[in-house]
Amino acid sequence: MTPTAPGSRRLVALAAAGLVAATGAALTLAPDVEPARSANLAGHPTWGDDDIPGFRANLFALPEDDLAGFVPIPAGSFIMGSDPSVDRMAFAVERWSRTALQGRLDLDDFYMGRYEVTVAQFVDFVRRSGHRLPDDVVLGTEPLHPVASVSWVDALRYARWLDEELRASARTPAPLRALLDDGWRVGLPDEAQWEKAARGADGALFPWGDDPEGGSANYASGRVEPVGSRECACAYGLSDMAGNVWEWTASPYQPYPHDPSDDGRTAAADALWVMRGGSYQDDIQQVRAANRGGADPGARRPFIGFRVALVHD
Amino acid sequence: MARLDPRNVGLADRGAADDLSETQHRDGPSPIAVPASAALVLAACSLTPRVQANAALQASFWGAMAVALAGAAWVLVQSRRGHAALSTSVLLRPQHWVQALCQLAVLLYWGWYWRPVYDMAVLFVGQLAFAYAVSALISWARGRPWTLGFGPVPIIFSINLFLWFRDDWFYLQFLMIAVGFLGKEFVQWQRNGRSTHVFNPSAFALGLFSLALIATGTTDLTWGREIASTLTLAPHIYTYLFAVGLVVMYAFSITLVAGTAAAVLFGASAVAFAFTGVPYFVDSEIPAAVFLGLHLLVTDPSTSPRTPAGKVVFGALYGVGVFTLYTVLSASGAPTFYDKLLCVPLLNLSVRAIDALVGSVETTLPGLARALGQGVDQVVARRANLAHMAVWIGFFALMSATGRTDRTHVGDRIPFWEEACSEERPGACDRLLQIEASYCGDNSAWACNELGLHYRAGRIVEPDPALSADFLGKACELRFQPACLNLTDTDGSMTGRPKMLDLRLLLREGGLNLLDTPEAELYARACRHGWDFACLGASG
Repeated sequence: MTPTAPGSRRLVALAAAGLVAATGAALTLAPDVEPARSANLAGHPTWGDDDIPGFRANLFALPEDDLAGFVPIPAGSFIMGSDPSVDRMAFAVERWSRTALQGRLDLDDFYMGRYEVTVAQFVDFVRRSGHRLPDDVVLGTEPLHPVASVSWVDALRYARWLDEELRASARTPAPLRALLDDGWRVGLPDEAQWEKAARGADGALFPWGDDPEGGSANYASGRVEPVGSRECACAYGLSDMAGNVWEWTASPYQPYPHDPSDDGRTAAADALWVMRGGSYQDDIQQVRAANRGGADPGARRPFIGFRVALVHD
Repeated sequence: MARLDPRNVGLADRGAADDLSETQHRDGPSPIAVPASAALVLAACSLTPRVQANAALQASFWGAMAVALAGAAWVLVQSRRGHAALSTSVLLRPQHWVQALCQLAVLLYWGWYWRPVYDMAVLFVGQLAFAYAVSALISWARGRPWTLGFGPVPIIFSINLFLWFRDDWFYLQFLMIAVGFLGKEFVQWQRNGRSTHVFNPSAFALGLFSLALIATGTTDLTWGREIASTLTLAPHIYTYLFAVGLVVMYAFSITLVAGTAAAVLFGASAVAFAFTGVPYFVDSEIPAAVFLGLHLLVTDPSTSPRTPAGKVVFGALYGVGVFTLYTVLSASGAPTFYDKLLCVPLLNLSVRAIDALVGSVETTLPGLARALGQGVDQVVARRANLAHMAVWIGFFALMSATGRTDRTHVGDRIPFWEEACSEERPGACDRLLQIEASYCGDNSAWACNELGLHYRAGRIVEPDPALSADFLGKACELRFQPACLNLTDTDGSMTGRPKMLDLRLLLREGGLNLLDTPEAELYARACRHGWDFACLGASG
C-alpha cells in the first residue's frame, strides 16, 4: 500500500466534500422545468385616462359606459345564411342546407361588444396576465386600433381573463356586475350571435342595410383605423361589424345548418375556426354580414382581431 | 534545448499498451513554435465561414488566440532569460493516440447521422490548438519541460463527445478546456510513489461545468441534451461502440472497468424493471451516451485503479453511480444526461481508497487476491484481459440477442407508458408526463393536448388550470381540434388520434428522422408501437 501524506489526505477529503456539497447545492438550486408565463412588453407605451377619450384606463381600457361597452342584443329569431337571388355576392358556404337557402334561428338575448378589442385593452391584458406571445408579434402602439396579429387562442384567453378580472374588480360598473352575478360571462360570440349582431333580425346584407353603398366601413383601404372611426347607422349601434379587421368567433368552421351542439363533430378534422366581418384589405364581397371566413386557430395576421360578447350559460 | 522528461515515460499504467511501442524523440519543436502555431491555427479557424457566421463565436476564437499569443510572448521573454525548463520533447504514447483514434471513429460515425457533429469540425480543430497551447504553457510555468504528443487530443475529443457550448457561449468551451488542464496540473496526489493528477482531466472539467449548468439552470447554453439523445440516430450504435470499445479494452486492459460497469447497469436495469414493471432508463437498458462513457470516459488508466479487483470495484461503482444519479437528477428536475459525467470525479477521488481496500484483501486473503489476478506478471495479466474480453463479448452478445441494445425498446412506446400509468406502476405516470412534455416541446399537438388534459383532470398530477390552458392552447394553435374544443368547454376532456405529423414525432425511437417516411410505413411502425388505430390503417 502506498503511504500518503496527511496533508494530501486532507486535500482529497476537502475536494470530495466540496464536490458533494457542490452537487447538493446545484441540485437544490436547479430551477423547476416549467414554461415561463411572462410576456415582454418592455418599452411599450402605457396609457392614462386622458390618453384614450371615451375609455377607462383604470378599468382594463374598456369603454366608459355602464356596461363597459357591451350592447344588448334582444332575444328573438333572425335570418342566417344567404339567398343568392337576393345577395348576388353570396358564397356557396353561406347556403343553409340542401333544401333551404337560408335558415331562421331563434337566439336568447346576449350582449355584444360595441367595438373590436383594442390594442390598449389587449396590451393591458398581456401586462397583467403575463400572457405569452411569440417574439415576432407586434401589437402596435395606437391604443384605439383594433388589436390584430392575435390567434384564436389569444382571443379566447383574453375573454376568459377579462371575465375573471371584471368579477374581481371593485371598479366594475354596477349594472355590469349585476349581469356577471346573474350568470353572464365574457366570451367570444359564436357565429350565429355574430351574424345576428351584424345584420339584425331581418337579414340585411350589411350592418347598415342592403345597399353596398349605403354605409361607411373600412374595407379595401389598405390600412387599419381606430375602432368606431366611421359614423354608421348600423344594427344595434355596433361599430366596425363590416371591415377594419376580421373577428374570431367561438364556432368551428363546418357546413350549415348552424348548430352549436354539433361542434364536437369537427374533432377529427384539422382545426379551422370561423372569423367574420372582413378587413381593411378586402373588397365589399368579404365584408357582407353573412360572409364566413375560416382560419387556422394559430394564425396571427395583421388583419385578424376579435370582439367579445356577454353570453349566458 | 529540447530534452526528454523521464517523469512522463510512465510504465506502471500502461498495461497491455506495452505491446504498442512508444515513439520517442529527443528533439521537440522550438518552444516558441507551440503557442505561435496554436495562435496561427486559431486565427485560421476564425477566418472560416463556420466561425465567421457568429460574432460571439469569432470573438471566442480571438480570445483563445490572444491567450496563445500572450503565451508566445511570455515564452519569448523567458527564453531570453535563459530558462532551461522551456524545452520540449516528443513522445507518442499509445494510450493517447489509440484512444484518440477510437474517439474519432465514434465522432465520424455519429456525425454521419447527425450533421452538427461535422459542423463542429473547425471548432474541434480550434479547441485542439488551444489545448496544446495551454498544456505547454502550464507545463513551462510550473518549471517543467513539455512533452509534445497526442495527450491533449483524447481530452478534447472526450469533452466534445459529451458537451459543447452553443456558438453564442463558446468562450465557455475554451474555459472548460483550460479548467481541465489546470485541474490536471494542480490537483495532484501521491499514488504508487508518484505524483499524479487526481482527476480525469476531461471528466473533471465536464463535472465542474455540469454542476454550474445545473445550479444556474442554463443547460440550454449547451448542446448537452442533443448530444445525449442523438447517438442513437446512428444505426447499431451499441454494436459500434462495443466494437470500438474492444480496441480500447485490448490496448489498455480496461475490460474489467467497462465490462463491470455495463454488467451492473444492465443488471440493475433488469432488476428495476422486474420490480416496477417499467424501464429504469426511459428508452434503453443503458443510454447510448452512458455506454459510450463507460468505454471512453471513465477508463483513463491514470485516474482509475490498476489492479484487477480495483478495476472491478471501480466499474461497479461507476454503474451504481450512474444508476443513482439518474434518479437523483430526475427527482430534482435536473436534466438526467449529467448522470454519466457527475460521478466520474467522485470515483477518481475514491481510487486510493479502492487501492487500499484491494491491498488489504491481498494481505489478509492472498488466495482470493491471486484468484482475482493480483500480483501476476504482465504476460499472465494480458492473457487474463483476453479472457475478460471473451466474457464481455459473450455478455454483450447475450444482451443483443435478447433485444437489450440496438433493438426498439419498450420505453420508446407511448401506449406502453399509458398502460403502465393506468395500472399505476411506480413512476410510470411521471415518465408519461415527461415523455409527453418532451414531445409537446417538439410541437406534437397530440402530446400537448394529452398534457393539458392531465393538468386539467389532476388524476396523475396536481391540477394546474393555467398550465393546462397553456398546453391546450399550444395544441390548438398546432391545429389539433380536440384541444380547441377542450378550450371552449372548460370541463372538456376530448382526446383524439395522433395526426400524421404527431406520428412522425412520437415514433422516432430516440431521434430517427421520420419526416419523409411514407404513411403506410409510419402506420406499420405505429402499430408495432401499440397504437391500435394504426393497425387498422396499416392493414387497410
